[in-house]
Amino acid sequence: MSFQGKLHVEDGVVTIRLVGEVDSRSAHELNELIIDAADKNPTRLVLLAEDLTYLSSAGLRCLVFAHQKMGRDTEIVLVGTRPEVAETIRLTGFDRSIVMQDAVGP
Amino acid sequence: MIADRVSLRGIENLSAALSALVGRLAAAAGLDSAQAYRLRLAAEEIAVNVATHGYGDGDGEILIDAGLDDEWVWLRLTDRSPEFDPTEHDPDPRLTADPDVGPSGGFGLFLALSSVDRFEHEYVGGRNRNKLLIRRRAGGDGGD
Repeated sequence: MSFQGKLHVEDGVVTIRLVGEVDSRSAHELNELIIDAADKNPTRLVLLAEDLTYLSSAGLRCLVFAHQKMGRDTEIVLVGTRPEVAETIRLTGFDRSIVMQDAVGP
Repeated sequence: MIADRVSLRGIENLSAALSALVGRLAAAAGLDSAQAYRLRLAAEEIAVNVATHGYGDGDGEILIDAGLDDEWVWLRLTDRSPEFDPTEHDPDPRLTADPDVGPSGGFGLFLALSSVDRFEHEYVGGRNRNKLLIRRRAGGDGGD
């Protein structure tokens, strides 16, 4: 499955819904979304990850890039991350630099 | 035995090819989704590392074969890049780097080694052979 990301901006919060797989092939697409998001100087970056089915180190690099580009003034929140994807993030310790939340109801 | 050949000329298709191969292997071995995910992740990280560092983004090929026995499911990636043993990679400098200012990448080999139940490397006849093994569930809940 390929990757699709959709960016939404409201009240200083940038939300990106991540769908599919972020791997060595598709990571540049997420990176471009991160750059677009950073240009809006958000107070929060919310990544909706319920439908993110795969994250390789190339995808993880995008999240670290977001954290570094936006700085500590921007809170990065990952919502509804699937267990395998969450495990990848936790293994590296990057979960300590972001907020990981369970998905909320519709 | 399940075998496939991935050409790094087609690195754009590398991830898709590995996903398909792991899918076939997981079905044959009865791996659960988490096991298949770990095997795919490890294989992709090793393959990408060979492509970008071993071959230096140059021309090269990785031969992938796979198999299973009663205890293990395995993928073996063989390449002709310079000798490199991923098990000698020290992840500590990357893992302890400041996430605010450190490099954004560099987790690939760590994830590969962390994701499998056993990892073997050998350098034979000018080839690196990286074997990624996942232990099949005890009790045969995945079927034989």
